[in-house]
Amino acid sequence: MSDGPLIVQSDKTVLLEVDHELATEARHAIAAFAELERAPEHVHSYRLTPLGLWNARAAGLDAEQVLDTLLKYSRFPVPHALLIDIADTMSRYGRLRLEQDPQHGLVLRTTDYPVLEEVSRAKKIAPLLGPRIDGETVVVHSSQRGQLKQLLLKIGWPAEDLAGYVDGTPHPIMLNETGWKLRPYQQLAADNFRAGGSGVVVLPCGAGKTLVGAAAMAASSTTTLILVTNTVSARQWKDELLKRTSLTAEEIGEYSGSVKEVRPVTIATYQVITTRRGGIYPHLELVDGNDWGLIIYDEVHLLPAPIFRMTADLQARRRLGLTATLVREDGREGEVFSLIGPKRYDAPWKDIEAQGYIAPADCVEVRVELPGDERMAYAMADDADKYRLCATSDSKTTVVEQLVAQHRGEQLLVIGQYIDQLDEIGERLQAPVIKGNTSVKVRQQLFAAFRAGEVQTLVVSKVANFSIDLPEASVAIQVSGSFGSRQEEAQRLGRLLRPKKDGRAARFYSLVARDTLDQEFAARRQRFLAEQGYAYRILDAGDLPAEHVEG
Amino acid sequence: MSMIQALGQELSARSDDSLRELFAARPDLMAPAAHDFSTLAARASARVSVQRALERLSRPEMQVLETLHLCTNTDTGHSASVAGLRKLISGSTLVALEPLLANLQALALIHRAEPPHGTVAGRQKFYLPVASLKDVLGIYPAGLGRSYTELVRLQPSFAQHAVDLVSELRSAGQDLHAATTPMEAALALQQWTASPAALQRILADAPDRTPALLAKFGHWAMGAVPKAQRKTSLAQSSPAGPVDWLLARGLLVPLDASHVELPHSVGLALRGGAIITDFSLHPPRPQLGTTSAMLRRNAALGSVAETLRLIGELLGSIQRHPLTTLRSGGVGVRELKRLADSLRLDTAKTAVLAEIAALAGLLRLDVDSSSWIQPPDLEWLALPRQEQWLWLVTAWLTSERVPSLVGQPVAGHVTADVSRATGGQVNVLSAEAQRPDAPLVRRRILEVLLELSTEADPGDGTAPVVDAAAVMERAEWSQPRMSRRFSSLIRGVLAEAELLGLVGSGALSQLGSAVATDRHQDALALLGNHLPAEVEHVLLQADLTAIAPGYLAPRIAATLLLMSDAEGQGPATTFRFSATTIRRALDSGLDATAILGFLQENSATAVPQPLEYLIADTASRHGQVKVGPAASFIQSSDEGALERILAAAPAAGIHVVQLAPTVLVSTTAPREVARALRDMGVSPAVDDAQPALLRVRRSIAAPGSVRPVYSPPGAPPPDGEITAQIALLRGEAATVHGGPGQPSLDSASEAAPHLGLESLAQAIRLGRAVIMNVVDSAGNESSERVVPLSAGGGRVRVHDPARDTERVISVHRIIDVQATEEHDL
Repeated sequence: MSDGPLIVQSDKTVLLEVDHELATEARHAIAAFAELERAPEHVHSYRLTPLGLWNARAAGLDAEQVLDTLLKYSRFPVPHALLIDIADTMSRYGRLRLEQDPQHGLVLRTTDYPVLEEVSRAKKIAPLLGPRIDGETVVVHSSQRGQLKQLLLKIGWPAEDLAGYVDGTPHPIMLNETGWKLRPYQQLAADNFRAGGSGVVVLPCGAGKTLVGAAAMAASSTTTLILVTNTVSARQWKDELLKRTSLTAEEIGEYSGSVKEVRPVTIATYQVITTRRGGIYPHLELVDGNDWGLIIYDEVHLLPAPIFRMTADLQARRRLGLTATLVREDGREGEVFSLIGPKRYDAPWKDIEAQGYIAPADCVEVRVELPGDERMAYAMADDADKYRLCATSDSKTTVVEQLVAQHRGEQLLVIGQYIDQLDEIGERLQAPVIKGNTSVKVRQQLFAAFRAGEVQTLVVSKVANFSIDLPEASVAIQVSGSFGSRQEEAQRLGRLLRPKKDGRAARFYSLVARDTLDQEFAARRQRFLAEQGYAYRILDAGDLPAEHVEG
Repeated sequence: MSMIQALGQELSARSDDSLRELFAARPDLMAPAAHDFSTLAARASARVSVQRALERLSRPEMQVLETLHLCTNTDTGHSASVAGLRKLISGSTLVALEPLLANLQALALIHRAEPPHGTVAGRQKFYLPVASLKDVLGIYPAGLGRSYTELVRLQPSFAQHAVDLVSELRSAGQDLHAATTPMEAALALQQWTASPAALQRILADAPDRTPALLAKFGHWAMGAVPKAQRKTSLAQSSPAGPVDWLLARGLLVPLDASHVELPHSVGLALRGGAIITDFSLHPPRPQLGTTSAMLRRNAALGSVAETLRLIGELLGSIQRHPLTTLRSGGVGVRELKRLADSLRLDTAKTAVLAEIAALAGLLRLDVDSSSWIQPPDLEWLALPRQEQWLWLVTAWLTSERVPSLVGQPVAGHVTADVSRATGGQVNVLSAEAQRPDAPLVRRRILEVLLELSTEADPGDGTAPVVDAAAVMERAEWSQPRMSRRFSSLIRGVLAEAELLGLVGSGALSQLGSAVATDRHQDALALLGNHLPAEVEHVLLQADLTAIAPGYLAPRIAATLLLMSDAEGQGPATTFRFSATTIRRALDSGLDATAILGFLQENSATAVPQPLEYLIADTASRHGQVKVGPAASFIQSSDEGALERILAAAPAAGIHVVQLAPTVLVSTTAPREVARALRDMGVSPAVDDAQPALLRVRRSIAAPGSVRPVYSPPGAPPPDGEITAQIALLRGEAATVHGGPGQPSLDSASEAAPHLGLESLAQAIRLGRAVIMNVVDSAGNESSERVVPLSAGGGRVRVHDPARDTERVISVHRIIDVQATEEHDL
């Protein structure tokens, strides 16, 4: 314990001093069992959770290695109670194993008889188990594999899943690496996933998650189902796959509201899968009825509840989750991990930025003063209306105009929550507005025009929050958001992070009404990015022109 | 000759060195100084003193003493020899027993005696224990029960039953003497079960589980069975259970509704005729696990740093909000919860920390506010960390408070009221968490830890893990009479030792062994070398946090805590800034420049823009509403009139300040101001409907805390005192005290009452008559010949054979007691 880069806290967090010479080495060593929680500029913090420790066990690490790593890199004595806790927690993993028995099919086996007794008596687990074969083995209904794993995790006896995966229908897929190469971190992410079988890959927006998906498909070379958030995104996936792999247009099907094609590689939207008619999900058959070798969940942080349930039944198929921001305001991150799989790769945004694969970003919070009459209206408004009132202040529109004028010549997005406000801004800026009722066709046209530089300013609602690839956008102005959503803020910044041709930094403005709820929500929204190391500068609207003469 | 006189003579014949040893081992004998040897002998035979002396004995010593007690009779002077003892202690040898007996004799617990009548002494030594040993050892010495004769005497229900039992056994063909009285029956039973072989014959046709049941009585003669007084008979048709079988044959004697006793002769026969069957001079060696030296040091240093940090935080928290006490004493659960929340800990750990802080004098009960506060000018806060640690350890070792008792049920507290389920728990900082023997127990536990660690040291760099069970086992061997006191405290003591870094990873740490051997300075140096240096800077980050990568210098931490909130738990602290915390700093008198200046000076990194903005923004809006003291206000819509008052005020002798064009305030009371205004020619209306409540708190001036000093408990008294005591006994100090050095029996001697009581007690046991000189209520002395029956509670019950009546005499009316030689009754 001389001078390592880690400080192990008794509250189960681990601090990593980034500027330390051993920082990179230590980071790699602890990444296997600790979860990155915050990554601001100087000290990153990791958390030791039972889930993380069990994932480490699943990856072949034992408690002794974990303790050795902590003791080796720790600057100060490591709290002893924590060491004991880690050893205890890790020893719980693997006492229950899910195995494929040649005679009985899927079985739950234990090396520790009382544990099996305990879990088989748990009220929620008992119905998932079949007949007892002997003291140490019990049959599991194979359709309950996912749910059983999830419930076992909840009561603290995670099962080691040795039952393996189905192979799926083979279908040759190859990467077509002409003129580009898989980046090292993409390769690593795909390899980690392949080694683990199932899991989630977390990469910043614009870092090329699609290519990780493509690499995973190539590695598995089976029929693949890709689940995405919306149709525009589905088309982007298709284009990207056509460009980067050996797949042809005939091999890729789209399964959405308008088209229902089932091909060796099928891209479906969450919406169509979860469409419910007469109490049943008519399109679930797409998932169940085909022998997919791989299922890719795009933007896994958005998984709707029915997909969670459905995924529980798909435990025998390889699953890959892709996301930039694994934070859910409903706190169901844990379920994502238990159903899709543990985190296989996670990189702080600033790391990828430092490698030059995403554009650096300059985030500015502009504080707007509400005019006197709006302040009165705000003060007297009902709580339910307050946020809307302050977020859609007229003074913001003026500031937007000012900023747009400053950045003339750059590709610019104005993003907001409230349609009235966006319409008004669109009118004032003479710019097209894309919102929920804009048809897919018009959307695609407008995005294409924007990419080509024909349209320089776009006003968009939350429909453009995710999965919309606009490589040329370099300035975004956020006028309002959905309350305190951390991942929305991150995703919106993500629209700007494709590297620019001239290496320019992207600029992200967030307009905030001073001394109102807006300011509170803004602080909450920024937390994810702040933890990823993005620092917001704060400016008063009054100081704007002087500051940005250079544009 | 009286036993006390015999002991007195033996003591006076001892060498100075031998006396010195005695006083070192039994310091209570010379407190206060004894003037002559008979006094000393009386003290050494006193029940309390013997009790204390027994606490120091090891298991083999106790076993020898108990055996000696069982095979001798102090009333008749029937003594025992070493050879006799050897037969009764299986596995012993003369060589093993002699040093043990010598030691017991040195401690004045036994003394040399004449051989019993009809025995030729030869070269053998004969011993008798002190008379009060009987009372101290209790009714089951060596775990053996009472004899049949005693049971018949003391258990009327058994006495009634005994004659029938014998005749029933005889008619069943057993080889017993006929009996017509209970005493005869008892003797017959005693003879029937006298030898191991005889008992084996009796048990030959016992039910299967009988040996297992009897084995349970191997260490203690009494046991609990349901319906102990059940009806049993030899002629049972259904197969009897072992308990029924034994009860029917009188091999177990019922005591009350749920307890039975194994009589002495049966117990002895079961042990194969020996009183002690597990004699060993060497303590059992426990099987200990090991931990690596690295882990041990890691754990010890980690918990030292953590404990010091938490105590510091606790003091800070209590300084801001003192801990209020309950009317019944101690700190309530809700108050403790509040403290725990402020420390981000659970209440159990908080309770222990608060107790440690209080026992170290870092918290003090303020009598005026009846709350626990931090004493002003606390020296501890300014000490280097290793000295802070030593302060805590020293205080802990010497304190009678036992933190681990907090939360336990109050001893002897029975809550009849079920709704008050928590009513019987010991509160934090309450008087119930006090145990006078705590320092001694801690000391012993540390010594035992050291002993076990040294014995088990594998010498390969690993350290033995000593758990509570191993410590208990050793304590039971080395001080069996103390072990009950150990068992209630041991877990708490080990947990606290771990908290203080004396134990790490379950093994005695280097700090711990230094403390156990009283090398406090070594421990201090060791800790000084290994505690990481304090850091002098923080890392400021754009997410509005500052991270102190280690133990932050207290002066920086104090100021930083004004402007931010601490988060997290561990060696590093995260400080989070927010508008609220910055406002707090501004409230405390810092301004934006000072805050920024402080951060720039103490940060290893540049101050991030958002933080700078936060400070400037908060500062710019700070103080929009001001609060200040004033005794009265002057309000008028006529601004001109107020201007005039303002101008004239100094002349009128009142101090007035203008707050607004229409409001003035003054520090003078409203009536004074009104009078002054009237003098100026204004006619004010006094509005004192709501008198201002101004309460000024008295500043608390109290003495600071004092650094604790360690003196090991149970240490022998200083040499000087012993020398003086011996000189006094030898009569060398006769010029000062004028007392003779010979054992004397004059009535002024402290020994006299002891001697009187001794003869009384002997007479009671033997049923002899005594001549008693008694003073009646009129002050007349009279000499009476009575038979004492029992003594207790300051009274003696006697039988007066002349009048054939029973009387009760107060002990203080008895002048002296002389034994009569003849036998009575």
